[in-house]
Amino acid sequence: MGDSAYSFSLTTFSRTGKLLQIEYALNAVANGRTALGIAAVDGVVIATDKKFASALVEGEDVSKVEAITDSSGFVYAGVGPDYRVLVRKARKSAQAYFREYRETKPVAQLVKSTASVMQEYTQSGGVRPFGVSLLVAGIDGDGVPRLFQVDPSGAYFGWKATAIGKNYVNAKNFLEKRFQDDMELEDAIHTALLTLREGFEGEMNGHNIEVGVVSKSDGKFRLLTPEQIQDYLDEAN
Amino acid sequence: MSRDSNYDHHISIFSPQGRLYQMEYAFKAASSASGLTGIALRGKDTCVVVTQRKVPDRLVVPSSVSHVFNITSKIGCLATGMIADCHSAIQRARYEAADFEFKYGYSIPPAVLAKRMADIAQVNTQSASMRPLAVVMMIVGVDEEKGPQVLKVDPAGHFLPFKGTASGAKEQEATNFLEKRVESIPEYSFDETVRTAIVCLGSVLGSDFRGSEIEVAVVQGVQGKFQSLTEEEIEGHLNAIADEND
Repeated sequence: MGDSAYSFSLTTFSRTGKLLQIEYALNAVANGRTALGIAAVDGVVIATDKKFASALVEGEDVSKVEAITDSSGFVYAGVGPDYRVLVRKARKSAQAYFREYRETKPVAQLVKSTASVMQEYTQSGGVRPFGVSLLVAGIDGDGVPRLFQVDPSGAYFGWKATAIGKNYVNAKNFLEKRFQDDMELEDAIHTALLTLREGFEGEMNGHNIEVGVVSKSDGKFRLLTPEQIQDYLDEAN
Repeated sequence: MSRDSNYDHHISIFSPQGRLYQMEYAFKAASSASGLTGIALRGKDTCVVVTQRKVPDRLVVPSSVSHVFNITSKIGCLATGMIADCHSAIQRARYEAADFEFKYGYSIPPAVLAKRMADIAQVNTQSASMRPLAVVMMIVGVDEEKGPQVLKVDPAGHFLPFKGTASGAKEQEATNFLEKRVESIPEYSFDETVRTAIVCLGSVLGSDFRGSEIEVAVVQGVQGKFQSLTEEEIEGHLNAIADEND
């Protein structure tokens, strides 16, 4: 990062005081496929669709939702290859934290360090900002479910429920109507699926959506299997 | 300087719409630079790659014109795009594979290599000092646990596993051909895999060819080695295809 030939920042202020590269990066995110998250009282759910350009893709093991520690995970909207860089760095930093403190890195710390990396890429020489927004879901030792959004600028926000990517405005309105402060994880999962359905083209099934869940009961972040997702969809019908 | 979006066409920064023009141009270069089409397919226990061999001049030694490469003895790659960039990418892939085996003591699985090459490609889309390589790599190998795999890595740093895929000038037509057979492809025997790939190339190019005009390379089974078919072997398959059509 900050390569030899370019020792100057590519992201510079415009005459009106804007950092245009960051705004353009946000446009790249807004063109990406929708991802959403809901923080319930006893867990967090994050979800996104899983659509490939061709039926020839072997999609079973390909995943946008990724676990970072045992109890936290990411999902994104935007430029896939950039996301992989952030996942790798987050996992490495979580492992370094564990090596030093012998405790799982708390969600808020994970968010801060990832956000810091994203900010560096808006200021360092010779690089462009990341074209992704992240949703970070996790539960710390204190048992409090947490959902954060991190933007290309490096700004981060805690959310009760949110959506990013295409169609995020409609999705957020939908979530605002349905979110309750005392919502439980099961309801949250149903609501997440209903919200995804709003912008979904075609029939939703266990194989064309991804859902990541972390529950207070065991504190483990896991991906729902296609069968489990299908069960939730069947219940909704 | 870079606030002028004039530069978004020159280096890897975002355009106002959030697009990365350098990456899109790299894709164009990769598809049209060589004018070739390449196809990769995986059957029950076999992976095959097929592409045209266009020798530009009668005095050129034909065996030196190739887009098919070994990365290890078991993992091969069809690299379409600008040939010099292909050589650079292959050299790096060979290094990464060898380094993995040195560090971890076992041969690199095809998907791990593909991810590594994709992550390397991503760096060029985010760092302005080097342009993306105009190469689409189709890495093929038989994984010990997952069986035969085809992984396509593109200039943007995307990579996906495929049952079958194509790249280059006639990518779309070839993909359509393969999509029609998507259910049966994973069960194909060695011969079916090889012949379907050859027939696919023939149908999108709209012409027949001789054994010397295409390159075909295969790897079969976990113990198999990735190697190119000889001209005689290719002729054998072409004859079998012709017989089936009669």
